[in-house]
Amino acid sequence: MSSTETDFLQEVADSDYKYGFVTSIEAETAPKGLSEDTIRFISAKKEEPEWMLEWRLKAFRHWQSLLEKEAYPRWAHLEYPEIDFQDISYYSAPRTTPKYSSLDEVDPQLLDTFSRLGIPLEEQKVLAGVAVDVVMDSVSVATTFKAELEKLGIIFCSFGEAVREHPDLVRKHIGSVVPYTDNFYAALNSAVFSDGSFCYIPKGVRCPMELSTYFRINEAGTGQFERTLIIAEEGSYVSYLEGCTAPMRDENQLHAAVVEIIAHKDAEVKYSTIQNWYPGDQEGRGGIYNFVTKRGICAGDHAKISWTQLETGSAITWKYPSVILKGDHSVGEFYSVAFTKGRQQADTGTKMIHLGKNTRSTIISKGISAGHSNNSYRGLVKIGKNAANARNFSQCDSMLLGSTCGAHTFPYLEISNPTAQVEHEATTSKVGEDQIFYCKQRGISEQDAIKLIVNGFCREILTKLPMEFAVEARKLLDIELEGSVG
Amino acid sequence: MQTTTERIERPEDRFLAAFEVHAGHALNGNGPRMQALRREALTHFARLGFPERKAEAWKYTNIGRKLAHPYALGAPAPALTRDDLAPYAIPGLDAARAALVNGRFEPGLSSLDGLPEGVVVTGLAEAAGAHPELFERHFAHYADYRGEVFTALNTAFTRDGLFVYVPANTVVERPIHALSLLDTDADLFLQPRLLVVVERGAQVRLIESRHARTGTKTFTNGVTEIFVGPNAHVDLFTLQDEGDAAAQVASRYAYQEADSYLATSTITLSGDLVRNTQNYLPDAENCETHLRGLFLGRGTMHVDNHTLVDHAKPHCYSNELFKGILADRATGVFNGKVFVRPDAQQTNAYQENKTVLLSEAARMYAKPELEIYADDVKCSHGATTGRLDAEAMFYLRTRGLTDGQARRMLLLAFARDVIDEIAVEPLRAHLDRLIERRLP
Repeated sequence: MSSTETDFLQEVADSDYKYGFVTSIEAETAPKGLSEDTIRFISAKKEEPEWMLEWRLKAFRHWQSLLEKEAYPRWAHLEYPEIDFQDISYYSAPRTTPKYSSLDEVDPQLLDTFSRLGIPLEEQKVLAGVAVDVVMDSVSVATTFKAELEKLGIIFCSFGEAVREHPDLVRKHIGSVVPYTDNFYAALNSAVFSDGSFCYIPKGVRCPMELSTYFRINEAGTGQFERTLIIAEEGSYVSYLEGCTAPMRDENQLHAAVVEIIAHKDAEVKYSTIQNWYPGDQEGRGGIYNFVTKRGICAGDHAKISWTQLETGSAITWKYPSVILKGDHSVGEFYSVAFTKGRQQADTGTKMIHLGKNTRSTIISKGISAGHSNNSYRGLVKIGKNAANARNFSQCDSMLLGSTCGAHTFPYLEISNPTAQVEHEATTSKVGEDQIFYCKQRGISEQDAIKLIVNGFCREILTKLPMEFAVEARKLLDIELEGSVG
Repeated sequence: MQTTTERIERPEDRFLAAFEVHAGHALNGNGPRMQALRREALTHFARLGFPERKAEAWKYTNIGRKLAHPYALGAPAPALTRDDLAPYAIPGLDAARAALVNGRFEPGLSSLDGLPEGVVVTGLAEAAGAHPELFERHFAHYADYRGEVFTALNTAFTRDGLFVYVPANTVVERPIHALSLLDTDADLFLQPRLLVVVERGAQVRLIESRHARTGTKTFTNGVTEIFVGPNAHVDLFTLQDEGDAAAQVASRYAYQEADSYLATSTITLSGDLVRNTQNYLPDAENCETHLRGLFLGRGTMHVDNHTLVDHAKPHCYSNELFKGILADRATGVFNGKVFVRPDAQQTNAYQENKTVLLSEAARMYAKPELEIYADDVKCSHGATTGRLDAEAMFYLRTRGLTDGQARRMLLLAFARDVIDEIAVEPLRAHLDRLIERRLP
């Protein structure tokens, strides 16, 4: 490896988080610690009905039993210290919580934060036609385009609002895809979830715009426990975007989100994520711990759920967006780029559970590791005994930038039907010297060559993102690679 | 009337209790090392315990069910003649033969004449006494008796097995055929052990075939250690065909020195539950390693191949291919791992697993893993599971083949990817015939 390339990769690995700043908005924060009282406090704060509180308490008791048994998920290829769950504050809401009808009413400091992130609300509203349900910490503070969506019967609001105004829908579907017994972090989320988004697309409606939510973690020592529920009725379509950056922190921040998607007959849900939370400093201190349970169910025939993600942040990523293919002819997709550097550790992948006949799934995962990071793909493809003619194709490619990082692949294939066709491929390699040589020969600098090659490596995935996101994603990846050079 | 309530024991307890009783029969060697080693292994066994259902390495193989059976621990020594062994010979094979019955080396049934000078093929117990220096230098140096419970158990209990030694720069032209037979009226738990030491620049081809004369329930917990010296060349062909009542956990540990070559083929044709744990450690530069496997599963057979290639040093090459055909209610498991340590630059590793499912009730669990800590490497793996290609079937049917003929032709071709790599022609031809007959 030539020295300039080494230097460049070194810079990439060393580069600091670019989006580290803290907005000082007064917040109302629950004292640290977790008990039934905390749950009651959160529930009361959110003016929830009794059934919601009961559900939270059931989840909390289950979580406690898991905690006593020390049943934390420890199987992932991740190393991190024990989390002290009593040392976390489980509720934080920006103090100004009224619902705004126009942007002028929003705290200017908040607007400033978004413009520094390069996502000005006004511009997005006007240029992109995106309805933005901004979640700042835990409470929804701005909702736009709501009126337009209402005309079509689409409900797009904060989770808290949905619990109050559409209790039947929430009560029917919450926990139906990710029950609170699913895993340790899903149980925790079910007990303490603060807010999140709710989306309901009625029968036959094609949502005319990309629905998007920006998550920000903004209160020191506050866990972020988002819960998202998307219901797509028969024949409907929605594309949902979620993206985030977070300010610099010294203290580990725990994030345990749950996303549930229900796609009925002939419905299609496309869920895209850009995750760029604070990854910690050079030694890996202070980054976000991101333990997420995301799962969708293709409940009816010909339903489709597609997950696309660009993961560049967090100290620890534990995330497996999954699809249960229950309806016949249903389709599941997972497209992922995970970039790790510094001391970041990512263990991410998907689960495709084929239950219905003629179901199809595609998994394309690209992992890029630099610095001292570890990047693992972990996935399950399960073909049930009734899933006749199921089809899966998986491809997991890893790229290593430097000799001190790790790239790993842990696929599980469980096949119980002879008519299924399952294929899995994985490769691991570094940036080819011949490719760099070719670029240099054409007058492209070594740094640009690496950017070009990495971008090409991920292209397949980035093109799956909605246009607005694809631009941001490419920029983000370039910035991540540029390190201090850019 | 008297009622007896039997205390429900853990299977481990039976072995712990039997340790002292069987101490006299065990492989004790001359020096104090063996006895200390056995005792140490037993401690590790007690600490580790048999794998629980949740253990990741045993996720798809419920070994506890098999271990619960009350097998006898002492093996009978039936008086067999050479004629009894004849049905298990490989037609046309000119090889030196070492016979093992119930895990014990039988010199009277072996034909070991004509081996080059210095080559030793003998029972492990015999070797421990006759070649103490060699034995001590290699025995239990590669097998992980501290971390693997079945290896610990074998190390504590093994009585005999086979020892093969090829001195430096010696080429053994004729293959060595180790023929293992089970012959017992009682349900048996056996713990044979194989130690193969091939010194610098030496070459050898080993054929290991395992059969049963009786259909009694058996459990064989075997351990094989292979040392491949610098620039040495070793081929190992294993045929597992012990019948429907024989369960086995076969753990193999191979250690390779610089510029060496090791190729193994594991052909599993029958068995009750068969678990092959294979750990390969190319621990010097420029090693070449091939792992091949083929399994045919029918009935309720359960075949689990668990492999690890641990690339510890730079400039090594490894290639792995495991293929399976599963019919009836058979279950197949493949867990292959390629591990590349931080300094093992320029590693080139490939791994592939392909399985054909022939029935509604057959199951396949594949977990091909890559764990890589070096950047300048080329590693890839592929896994596919499915049925026979409908187009290929159609093509053959248009040529006038019956459905059955077409299926067998395609399955045989599928199996030949593994069989055709076998460099000993009589063995290849024998396996080819055998597989054709046995195709589900």
